[in-house]
Amino acid sequence: MGSRFNDDESTIVRVAPYLSQQPEGRTPPCLELVRGPDAPRRFALALPTLTLGRSARAQLCVESQSLSRLHMQLTRRDGEVHCLDLESANGVYLNGLRVHSAMLHEGDVLQLGEVTFVFHEGGT
Amino acid sequence: MTFIVRFWGTRGSIPTPGGKTRRYGGNTSCVELEIDGQLLICDAGTGLRELGLDLAARSTSPVEAHLFFSHTHWDHIQGFPFFVPAYHAGSRLHVFEATPDDPRFTRLLLGQMQSDYFPVGFSDLGARIATRHFENSVTQLGQVRVEMREQTHPGRSFAYAFEALGKRVVYATDNELDLVLTNPEQAAKDPEHLRMLPAELLAFIAEADLLIADAQYTDEEYARKVGWGHSRVATVVDLAVQAGVKQVALFHHDPLHSDEQIDHLLLDAQKRASLRGSKVEIFAAREGLALKLD
Repeated sequence: MGSRFNDDESTIVRVAPYLSQQPEGRTPPCLELVRGPDAPRRFALALPTLTLGRSARAQLCVESQSLSRLHMQLTRRDGEVHCLDLESANGVYLNGLRVHSAMLHEGDVLQLGEVTFVFHEGGT
Repeated sequence: MTFIVRFWGTRGSIPTPGGKTRRYGGNTSCVELEIDGQLLICDAGTGLRELGLDLAARSTSPVEAHLFFSHTHWDHIQGFPFFVPAYHAGSRLHVFEATPDDPRFTRLLLGQMQSDYFPVGFSDLGARIATRHFENSVTQLGQVRVEMREQTHPGRSFAYAFEALGKRVVYATDNELDLVLTNPEQAAKDPEHLRMLPAELLAFIAEADLLIADAQYTDEEYARKVGWGHSRVATVVDLAVQAGVKQVALFHHDPLHSDEQIDHLLLDAQKRASLRGSKVEIFAAREGLALKLD
């Protein structure tokens, strides 16, 4: 069990050329996997949009049967990160509340099936 | 078939930008209901500006929106002059007046765009803006039934219940519940005592899937602000428990409350509901949050 993605943010650079858009000296926002396969680990959110699910088609694949194939989308725009439930079976829970979409803030807890992430805004 | 509720402004009284209010947001009241393709908007506080920008980003098609106002205090109308679709010739905006004999909502939207207050006049807006009325407190918009009810607030305010696709959402902000308690003596003597509310109010809210409620004050704060038109969080909890509501969004956050304080208010509210044996889900409304009612 495990993610296709490396938790080494420098590796993400190779698959995510958009990282070059990051202002110099700023680290991108990230999801910290705190419960689920291979937790704990961190995933940098370097792309403008990123899909998360258990399918290999998901840009961030977490192999848990509790996730839908394409479960959630994260979008970065104007310095904000938004999550969107992609009609998943088990839903996206933000700090315990089932949401359709939301703007994320430092420390927000995202629960997707049996997988839990903590969102970090990144910064200087 | 979708019923989505989006929060664009959750703050009460005045916009509160800044680091202490980032999470729950600083824009004033504005809630969007997207019901099977129809756009309904509750209040035009500063959150409306964000909604307008988002609508423009979602589609280039003309916007048709139905606007419902709790009342005309600044924090509920101030976003309108900044609502991008209002400037587009193809847009159609329907303003629902709660009182047919007094088109106060249209009058105040127009009034706040006089040159003393704003550089662009109401008549310069490109959208077709029409006034509409309720018939016996009810109106039907396709599949959506909307019922209104007068609340307790200086200068009058109105709550709206939206029913569609088997779901019911009640928008009830700027309402001083504590002035209509049916057991005020008991409630004053013991803050933990169940605060009883009138049967007709409970019937209006009964079994709502989502109640969006003015929950501005703590008990301590309210003691200094009686008559200002807002409710105590604990009273909102008791209302929801008695009405059998499924979810409650604490709304119209006090401008003095930081994110951290709202977190504590929320915890207290959840504890109070739990002590009453209620399974109502309580959360604090925050900007950028959308719920889909399934």
